[in-house]
Amino acid sequence: MEKKLHGRKVVGGKARGPALVTSEPICFLGGVDVNTGMITEVGHPLKGKCIAGKVLVFPTGKGSTGGSYLIFEAASNGVGPCAMINRNVEQVTAIGCIIAEIPMVDKLDSDPVAAIKDGDMVEVDADNGVVKVSPA
Amino acid sequence: MRLTREEEEMLAGKRGWPIQKSMEILVQLGEIYEAEKMIEVSHVHMPGSSVVVAGEAGTKFVEKMAGLGGKFCALTTLNTGALNFDAWEETGYPEKTYKLQRRLTDAYSSMGAVPCHTCTPYLIGNCPRRGEHLAWGESSAIAFANSVMGAYTNREGGPSALAAALTGRVPEYGYHLQENRYGHIEVTVNTKLETVDDFGGLGYWVGTIAGSKVPVFTGITQIGADEIKALGAALASSGAVALFHIVGVTPEAPTREAAFGGRKPEQALEFGTNELRDARQRLNKHQGQPVSLVCIGCPHTSISEIAQIAQGLAGKKLKSGVELWITTALPMRALAERCGYTKIIEEAGGRFVIDTCPILSPMAEVAKKKGYSAMATNSAKLAHYAPGQWALPTYYGSLRACLDSALSGSFDQREAR
Repeated sequence: MEKKLHGRKVVGGKARGPALVTSEPICFLGGVDVNTGMITEVGHPLKGKCIAGKVLVFPTGKGSTGGSYLIFEAASNGVGPCAMINRNVEQVTAIGCIIAEIPMVDKLDSDPVAAIKDGDMVEVDADNGVVKVSPA
Repeated sequence: MRLTREEEEMLAGKRGWPIQKSMEILVQLGEIYEAEKMIEVSHVHMPGSSVVVAGEAGTKFVEKMAGLGGKFCALTTLNTGALNFDAWEETGYPEKTYKLQRRLTDAYSSMGAVPCHTCTPYLIGNCPRRGEHLAWGESSAIAFANSVMGAYTNREGGPSALAAALTGRVPEYGYHLQENRYGHIEVTVNTKLETVDDFGGLGYWVGTIAGSKVPVFTGITQIGADEIKALGAALASSGAVALFHIVGVTPEAPTREAAFGGRKPEQALEFGTNELRDARQRLNKHQGQPVSLVCIGCPHTSISEIAQIAQGLAGKKLKSGVELWITTALPMRALAERCGYTKIIEEAGGRFVIDTCPILSPMAEVAKKKGYSAMATNSAKLAHYAPGQWALPTYYGSLRACLDSALSGSFDQREAR
């Protein structure tokens, strides 16, 4: 059954890809290798997973303000996520998505970290704040 | 958003592409966070000053701004870079990093930035006053500016700080508004905290829980400038804390009521000896390997920290094969030299590394080249980032334990559990 969630546009655009979901915040400095897209933070539940081409679903950002350019660098290296979904977007992540032109939504009508499962196929229409989720 | 006529002109491209692009970024950001208007900023501290963060893509973006005539209209200091310009080869940094960093630093400088490359601008001349609006990046400096100086800044990322430097504006939301500066979480400290690593442990433990909320500490009566710097840096590493209050110490917390703005805390935490032990355990990630690198200066060392290091090393020699890095700002090293500390530290075998730090430099390459076995530090921020960034086992403990490990090559296990 396809689910439809409604949220707020942070950065416009449309994208479709498999979900990569975590309940832990993500920091792009020291947390993600921007040359490979692999998550590297020791102790992070997604350590060893790759963000490239995924719809990255996480509660919010944390840590270094270097994160904005690192999101841009990951996208420029072709290993960025195709879209991002947050509970509440934090400024460093928002700026990264603006400059990297990664569609991003937050404040959905149900908690995205719970409503979306790893591997679900997710279609993000950020312009209209609509997220369609098809279970894997 | 309501823009002034001048801001409308910026957005329309009448002041050139760099200012137009900047205004677009700021308006987009303002719309996300429902800002009503722009406000003027007097200082910018520029994150994305290291090529480890900016990369090729970010460097090209900054170069484009500079190439098309961008000029900074607010005092702009550069955050930590990716290497020490004066001795990068002997420190072990690769030439490709030097070439890219040179381009990035030159691009920022040509727009008017002060290329001080430090994470502690507040120690070397970019010292804000209470209530001043800033656009600062560098998570540890933001926490210091908001909490200790009582200035107002959000957590600016590289592109938004660049836009703020070019336009002198940021959207008015978040920590620029008084209503968002009151505490959310009460943290009662009921154990005696003295050293930088004690306060780093507190910050690391609380940051994990606080996320981006505002913690209010009670029960801290004595805290020095170095300890408060470590506390803020740790809070902003495990969490996204941009502002904290210490009742009776920081300017917006003369009383508990003032810190919470008369509201009830959403959450109450207690921090005692068990919590401190828990934080220390989580920050120590090693299997007893010998120490080959000791790093002090995350955030960059103050002159008082350098004095303590000199005192600890006077007349002694580091164990052969162990490196001691003291990361600091150029003016602080100059002062250390005048005080005679540099001579003592260098004679013992220690090394000053200016302009950079292990977190914002290509440390994985240096560690590989030099075959480091483990690192020791008294910085919770560095201990938090290092294992994920360059997979090096890490010891966390007091300055004394770190210096002892530089002299003996092994870390006092009582400190490293």
